[in-house]
Amino acid sequence: MLKVGLLKKSVGLFFLALILVLAACGNTEETSNAEGSNEESSDGGGEYPTKPIEVLIGFDPGGGSDQLAQLTQPYLKDYLGGSFANEYKPGASGGIAWTSIAQQTENDGYTITITPSPQVVTNYLINSELQYTLDDFDPIANVVTDPAVIVVPSDSEFDTYEDFAKYLEENPKGLNVSHSGVGGDDFFSLLRWKRQTDLDVEMVPYDGDGPSWQAAAGGDVDASFNNLGVVFSQIKEGNLKALALMSEERNEMLPDVPTLKELGVDVVAGSSRGYSAPKGIPEEAKQKLYEAFEKLSEDEEFKEQLKEVALPLDVKVGEEYADYLKQEEEVSSEIWEEVKHEYE
Amino acid sequence: MNEIMSGLINVLSIWNLLALAVGMILGLFVGSMPGLSATMAIAILLPLTFGMDPATGITMLTSLYMGAMYGGSILAILVRTPGTPAAAATVMDGYKMTERGQAGKALGISLISSLVGGIVSGIVLLTVAPLLGKLALSIGAVELFAIAVLGLTIIASLAAGSVIKGLLAGSMGLLISFIGMDPITGTPRFTFGSIYLFDGISFVIALIGLFSIPQALKLVEKDKEVIKASKIKDKMLPSWQEIKALKGTLTRSSVIGVFTGLIPGTGGDTASWFSYNEAKRFSKQKNKFGTGHTEGLAAPEAANNAVVGGALIPTITLGVPGSSTTAVLLGGLMIHGIMPGPTLMTEHAEVTYTLLWAVLFSSIFLFVLGLLYTRLAVGVTKIPGKVLAPIIVLLCVIGTFAVNNSMVDVFIMFAFGIVGYFIDKLNIPVAPLVVGMILGMMLDTSLHQSLLIGDGSWLIFLQNPISAILLFIALISIFQSTPLFDKFIQLYNKRLRQDSK
Repeated sequence: MLKVGLLKKSVGLFFLALILVLAACGNTEETSNAEGSNEESSDGGGEYPTKPIEVLIGFDPGGGSDQLAQLTQPYLKDYLGGSFANEYKPGASGGIAWTSIAQQTENDGYTITITPSPQVVTNYLINSELQYTLDDFDPIANVVTDPAVIVVPSDSEFDTYEDFAKYLEENPKGLNVSHSGVGGDDFFSLLRWKRQTDLDVEMVPYDGDGPSWQAAAGGDVDASFNNLGVVFSQIKEGNLKALALMSEERNEMLPDVPTLKELGVDVVAGSSRGYSAPKGIPEEAKQKLYEAFEKLSEDEEFKEQLKEVALPLDVKVGEEYADYLKQEEEVSSEIWEEVKHEYE
Repeated sequence: MNEIMSGLINVLSIWNLLALAVGMILGLFVGSMPGLSATMAIAILLPLTFGMDPATGITMLTSLYMGAMYGGSILAILVRTPGTPAAAATVMDGYKMTERGQAGKALGISLISSLVGGIVSGIVLLTVAPLLGKLALSIGAVELFAIAVLGLTIIASLAAGSVIKGLLAGSMGLLISFIGMDPITGTPRFTFGSIYLFDGISFVIALIGLFSIPQALKLVEKDKEVIKASKIKDKMLPSWQEIKALKGTLTRSSVIGVFTGLIPGTGGDTASWFSYNEAKRFSKQKNKFGTGHTEGLAAPEAANNAVVGGALIPTITLGVPGSSTTAVLLGGLMIHGIMPGPTLMTEHAEVTYTLLWAVLFSSIFLFVLGLLYTRLAVGVTKIPGKVLAPIIVLLCVIGTFAVNNSMVDVFIMFAFGIVGYFIDKLNIPVAPLVVGMILGMMLDTSLHQSLLIGDGSWLIFLQNPISAILLFIALISIFQSTPLFDKFIQLYNKRLRQDSK
């Protein structure tokens, strides 16, 4: 009996120790970051931020929003003199996190969220069940914009965008084109391109950017509307060919790939990621956050790091970001009204 | 060749060996707790690895992944609460062995099978990974659909006793998997307007409810009975003879594990059911499956550890995650400034080859540390039911909440728990329901995609050679499980006898 008791105890102790280790690991980042804020608050009195800023992320860890959080926070932390704690609340393509920002969280500047666009607006345009709109947010700053790109398999008969467009003129709806899912950024890039060019294709939705380019690389579909940051290494390695980029200017990493604009198709699209706060946060907090992002946009080390992961910097702070989101909302809602009937 | 050797030397450094050990202990622990998964643990630990050398960090996380794959089986065998979805198939024969008083032997076989699966996948990774990487890309929507159909035929062999009840449970599983936004049109289905159901029912959450809650209730019910498992008299490690008898099953299941891991979107949960089914198909003692048969235990165990290496193949050769856990791992690489993609094998060869060796070495750590950990964990069965039951419920609540930080998920988990309890009382098997849930989403999405690609023609499934073959095997499987098949065999045998006369 004694032996049994001992064993039980040791099992209990073992589990307890492991739980502590795990808990300690989870908190390490928070505590280490918090050190910086202590100094600030002791001499600055009630200056923002006096406690860690919670960042609500509406997607799984390891996704695009998390990547932005992990890339930016080491720098922002220093510029703000504060710390961050990330909370993941995945669900309804970010909708659960944003609804809670709009309706539940306090607008004291200590809860902010990551807002990828156009998803943050298209989400509620498409699903009337979602109870938030852009008006519930104070957009803080956009950080990166990953331009949309048209890619084809490496053994595709199309070498240029002109070949691709010409084939579609002769064979309307003659090609299968994958995108990352209904309501996603690639879905809207594809629709915008269709509207501008009057060309038609069979749109095949996949579950995310990855499966979408894989379908093209594997020859399941003829082309994919994707994002440069996602497919860059595949283009470099020759698994995919890039036909055209939907940015204002050519990208220095792919100098030979033309933009749709220079080919006479006026579409600039992509997937942007930035930070937003709930409506009506204190002016002081807002200004501090704006400043931090202004400084971030100048940081050479940060720029270098973005280059490594092939994400183009595109900082828009405050009003500029708000206008940008408003414009995205207008364009997307117009397009959605046109195609809505096909998806109901 | 140089990279392979420098990877080996890297792995053998003190820090990396320590990382392997720490990762393994954490993996065994999170794996054994229902609700805590490898994916989650890796996500939590990621920030901790930023301060480390990328190779060391990744080594630790890989070891954790491997450990969790075995850890999930410990409580599945001892108290019928699988710690991870990949261990659900282990319950089938593992818990039955415990009921028969062979808990020690069951754990030993599970450990040996995990070791074999891990080593096979490690060797495959080190040798032919680049060749197999391309294969992962060639599996498209059409092939996935055929795989899902073939997978559904497993239901027939899992419907212990009543085919009707098995089919009923399977259809329930399929229906549950259809909850949420339609992946093709984006239309919400069966969500009753609630945004919490937009993403569907998380598989992990349903699984915790279906297995763990009914088990907790049962423990309370039969508290007065002495649980036979509490006396582990038998030796843990199986004899050489016993291992040799499992040779075929282990090899087959490891191969199935590697290939299932290779296919993007399928992981340990799918692999374990596939290999269970194949083990049964090839076994000479089919009717012993589900009663505590060693082959039925070894098959899923070898497969779910073999998945680790398989899932890493497309991850390192193409930057395509082979499972949800490797997806988080990829995210970790990106944060370390390593761009996932084909360049992993060339530009970042040192990190990559360290990772490959880590898979192989983590299997060895798994064996040693797993043995120690299991001896401790066996203590669980000595806890009386009335104490253990509330602990299980508590772990379920914590584990479920941790998945999405959502209380709604906890309620869903309890709903599944209550359903699970009653379908158990009605003798409806749970396994087909689980298989239906795993494959439903894949079936739905790939069917719709294939039809879009094939301009609405169903012939696309027959024009594609891989899918045609898989569908043909599925047809045979269905035929095999009907009474007609037995008649056919009898007739054939009669013929033979007549001929020989």
